[in-house]
Amino acid sequence: MNSVDRLNQMLVLLGYVMVDVAVIGAGQTKYGNHKLGLKGMWAEAAENAYSSVDRDFEPRQVDEAFIGSVAFGGAQLGNTAALLTEHSGLDGIPVRRVENACASSGFALRDAWMAIKSGQADIVVAGGIEKMNDLSAERKRFWLGVSGDTEWERLAGLTFPGTYALMARRHFHEHDSSHDDLVNISVKNHMHGFENEHAHIRKQISFEKAESGFMVADPLTLYDCCPTSDGASCVILAADHVVRQFTDDPVWIRSSGAASDRLALHDRPSVTQLLATQKASKSAYSAAGLTSNDIDLAEVHDCFTIAELMATEDLGFSEQGQGGVFAREGQGVRNEGSVCINPSGGLKSKGHPLGATGTGQAVEVFKQLRGTVEDSRQVRDAEIGLTHNVGGSGATCAVHIFGRERNG
Amino acid sequence: MGEHSHWKGYLVVENGDSIFIQSSYVHEEKIVYGPDSDATTMAIAGIQFMHSKGYSVESIHLSDSVDAQTVYLATGVDSIAHNEDLDFESIEWDLLSGDEATLVVAKSNADSYDFEAPEDVEIIDADFYHDMENAWKLEQEVSHVSQGAYISPSQYIEGARARLSLASQKVGDRMIWPPRQLDEDGLRLSPESHSLVPEAQVESWTKLSAAGAPSEFSLRAPILGGIQTLLVRFEQGPRGVFLVTDDIEYLPKIGDTVNFAVRRIYAQEGKIRYGLKAIPKR
Repeated sequence: MNSVDRLNQMLVLLGYVMVDVAVIGAGQTKYGNHKLGLKGMWAEAAENAYSSVDRDFEPRQVDEAFIGSVAFGGAQLGNTAALLTEHSGLDGIPVRRVENACASSGFALRDAWMAIKSGQADIVVAGGIEKMNDLSAERKRFWLGVSGDTEWERLAGLTFPGTYALMARRHFHEHDSSHDDLVNISVKNHMHGFENEHAHIRKQISFEKAESGFMVADPLTLYDCCPTSDGASCVILAADHVVRQFTDDPVWIRSSGAASDRLALHDRPSVTQLLATQKASKSAYSAAGLTSNDIDLAEVHDCFTIAELMATEDLGFSEQGQGGVFAREGQGVRNEGSVCINPSGGLKSKGHPLGATGTGQAVEVFKQLRGTVEDSRQVRDAEIGLTHNVGGSGATCAVHIFGRERNG
Repeated sequence: MGEHSHWKGYLVVENGDSIFIQSSYVHEEKIVYGPDSDATTMAIAGIQFMHSKGYSVESIHLSDSVDAQTVYLATGVDSIAHNEDLDFESIEWDLLSGDEATLVVAKSNADSYDFEAPEDVEIIDADFYHDMENAWKLEQEVSHVSQGAYISPSQYIEGARARLSLASQKVGDRMIWPPRQLDEDGLRLSPESHSLVPEAQVESWTKLSAAGAPSEFSLRAPILGGIQTLLVRFEQGPRGVFLVTDDIEYLPKIGDTVNFAVRRIYAQEGKIRYGLKAIPKR
């Protein structure tokens, strides 16, 4: 660290300067069915993140770590982070598991960002992990839907496919949307994920096939639902005064927004909008001095296709109620529409290892903005990316905006 | 055929100041409970019928087959089985269980009961009946324990009055249901002092495939071909989500009107959990 950096660091600690935060490295496992256990998967994601740093990085330089996980199946429910970090060279530092359902690592990323913004840490790891597919079908069933309002929603027979199905049917009733629009989203995301080497389901599907899928929760079919996946993801954040030690090509976190809403769908004022998404994105756009028109690519939380349709509205890519039209017109297609929605394939194709999803989205944006994804998947001229990570049916939401440049 | 009323999915015959209530299902010439009913749910329906007719039923002698706590939470009617401090002699009403799925609610001092049983019954499919009976038996075993989304007894009881009777809070002109704890000023909201009118309109609905049903329903969902849930809005504002009574075949439409009845929801660790289910208004 040179003398200017040291001075900056002191000013941050004294509260005179707000530090900027950059992603200097990011990596993940392939999502899908893994033979590896928790320790092995996390080590692989961490190793990939470490090796993506351009120069001179060692895990012993990390000050703190935040790891998102739902601990699906009850495996290492307590002290998850301590187990994982001891197997990734992060001995002795403060660590903790962050749990906010499917938004666990979106919030781990936010916590890591805040740790650096506060001046308490210079280099922080944020990550996530979930092992979902080594459970028996019966045991897995017990663990699906644990993040809804168990007392009221679950006793009415609802797991998340059911909750999102209620939203979809109501959206079709209130707005210009139909199941065909959801099919378009499914087809697009499978097309985007087809060439993603980390995607769980690398298979293109036709409109006709997606339209006639097995009914999971009327009106949502199998092709409207993301898979349950194993996977881990890891990003390394650094304060501006140390970034240049590691890379000349950082991706800056321009802002972080987050919000919560009522846990149960029926307790919210609207069942066709996610207010937590609206609040989190409004906060993130405002802090970055940007609008939805500035976003080149967005990794949005499409646990179900209706979730992506609603997200395009709540994030401002379309007017409220026009998400169906947006999908119908192909506006989210890579290098064709106004903004590329889910270039990775999204949860639908890339997969959804609950706790790993949020930082997995950040891995994709990091690579897209640095131009290091597979050539065929590259979003052209990508300068600004957004991640949108939702917990449950919308009770929690974290939105991050990333850029090649720092905030002006 | 006896003069009878359809009430909460059951058949009721009035005679003076007593009633006879029975299930509307028959199997092998015996009156049997439907797929989500038992003596407790029918006792609650019987007491609610008496209340709707203006009878003052405040306490009652219950038979052993009836869950006294659930009856109290759903109707406000107390019993010695729920409250040992009650004076036995002062209880004016009896609830008597028959050999089949029948109950009588009558004055304690009545000498005899004379009812002409209704014949407007439905023969339940034998395979369906046996499969559901077996599923409930397995579900009620003490070893049947849900994981992951476990709802503890105290959590269940905390919301039971709202779940069983639509008890709600009132703040200004606004009704709050299900009940909440503190407001944005950090002040505790007043306890449930009102009840929602038990009629609502369907805002959305879904039918979840058996494979995707919550584990609490894992034994019965394959028999039913899935689990159907309605999202409804009450006239006084709050929304809620409900299963449909008797798990009947019902293709809902947005805007349909439904009423409610207490039914069995699921069983865990040997205890049945009860709640309201929606009855489509025809």
